[in-house]
Amino acid sequence: MFFTTLLRVLNFGFQNFKRNFWLSLVTVFILILTLFSISLVFTLNVVADNAIKSVKDQVDIDIFFDPTVPEDKVIAVQAYLESISEVKSTKYVSKEEALQKFTEAHKDDPQIKESLDELEENPLPSALIVKAQRLEDYSSIVINLDNSEYSHLISSRNFEDNQVIIDRLTRITDRIYQFGIGVSAIFILIAILVVFNTLRMNMYTQREELSIMRLVGAQNLFIRMPFIIESVLYGILASVITILILFPLLSAVSPYIDSLFEGYDFNMFAYFTANFWVMLGLQILISIVISVISSMIAISRYLRV
Amino acid sequence: MIKLRNVTKTYPGTHVAIKNVNLHIKPGEFVSIVGQSGTGKTTLAKLIIAEEKPDKGKIIIGGWDITKIKNSEIPVLRRQIGVVFQDFKLLPKKTVFENIAFALQVSGAPVKKIKAIVPQVLKVVGLDDKEDRFPDQLSGGEKQRVVIARSLVHRPKILLADEPTGNLDAINVREIIDLLLKINKFGTTIILVTHNPDIVNNLRRRVITLDQGQVISDQKTGRYIL
Repeated sequence: MFFTTLLRVLNFGFQNFKRNFWLSLVTVFILILTLFSISLVFTLNVVADNAIKSVKDQVDIDIFFDPTVPEDKVIAVQAYLESISEVKSTKYVSKEEALQKFTEAHKDDPQIKESLDELEENPLPSALIVKAQRLEDYSSIVINLDNSEYSHLISSRNFEDNQVIIDRLTRITDRIYQFGIGVSAIFILIAILVVFNTLRMNMYTQREELSIMRLVGAQNLFIRMPFIIESVLYGILASVITILILFPLLSAVSPYIDSLFEGYDFNMFAYFTANFWVMLGLQILISIVISVISSMIAISRYLRV
Repeated sequence: MIKLRNVTKTYPGTHVAIKNVNLHIKPGEFVSIVGQSGTGKTTLAKLIIAEEKPDKGKIIIGGWDITKIKNSEIPVLRRQIGVVFQDFKLLPKKTVFENIAFALQVSGAPVKKIKAIVPQVLKVVGLDDKEDRFPDQLSGGEKQRVVIARSLVHRPKILLADEPTGNLDAINVREIIDLLLKINKFGTTIILVTHNPDIVNNLRRRVITLDQGQVISDQKTGRYIL
């Protein structure tokens, strides 16, 4: 009994879909556009998050010491810094290491090599590279250090530039994200209206059948469910097609995006492949929610028993 | 079986469709409701199948006060009242068999039951040889017989026929009325809404006459008096 009912209701739902085929196609198309814009916002969000994260990972404070400061003093500062809870790690770069890195970096530049050779002493300062637990902690570490007994040992530090970059990046991605959400919201609204209208048209074409159903005492289930099934069908079809378009597209675009992240551990396509089922599930969920909301509105307005 | 107590129904913006109507129809009766167009006959029919709700008064069918009926209970009521209308309301793309089966399908009947009942009701209306025809291939009288067959699938206790002969010629009218009498013999209460004096005068059954929404006469073996 339950099974026959289910089969019949499903069958009616598929019939609805087929009956106004072109209208159904347009509806699915609009849903695809909606899902596509949502996916784009989502992709953008992933890329932006990774961009910010990789920049954040690179953030540190370089503390440079006067060349006259002896090594044991620097080690003492390092010990002090590590006792601060906000500090995640510190790394000591001695004068010699600094020189080595510097010559390595500029080995193709004969002028620099010459001027270095002319100097008798190593001109480079020793340094401490400090990483904080969280991005917000840097300023408090700097303040802490400035107020400590070691402040006079420090010749300079670079920190502010990073904060500016991060702020700017966050602002840009936030703006893009807001814009994307706005566009998606408009698409969602359009999709709800289009699905609603399609179902309304279907109810109109079937008014005879529906009135007969009511007359002969059809269960409300038989009158309403086919329209819900029809709308769920739109949703599933749209999500599957969207995924089928989206993934090849992502794999084509991925190398360009990845090249922006050179040197970082980020592969966009791999990220999406790893989250394939989550994405498909989310798409189906979103499109079904959209279409079921519209069918509920259409049913409550035009299918009163 | 059917009781109406002080039933009044007004459509907004128009005159009163039904005014203070009291009726009692017993099981197994054959009642004709007559009156000129616009006197509230169809409104009365719609009230009985709960397609409309009265503004005042009570309608009780088989002990069930349908003035307080819930939407989810309406299908249950409709299966106890077979309905036949002037416009046949058959689905043109379905065969005779499928049209009748449709009524059973949408109330969740299993296939086995459908296969058993449809031939039975087709036999009652005398169309058992035409189950594969489409409505377009049938005469007006045959179409109306299909509709009657469809209204019988739930074995209703009441059959409500609103102008069932309105679109038919004299011979077909006779056939349909004979069919209704046959169904009445099985024990089904028949309510026939009509404005055709010949039918009523030939029937010699109870006649309720409506005028401007009110019952102006109720005779046991009546004649068309308007």
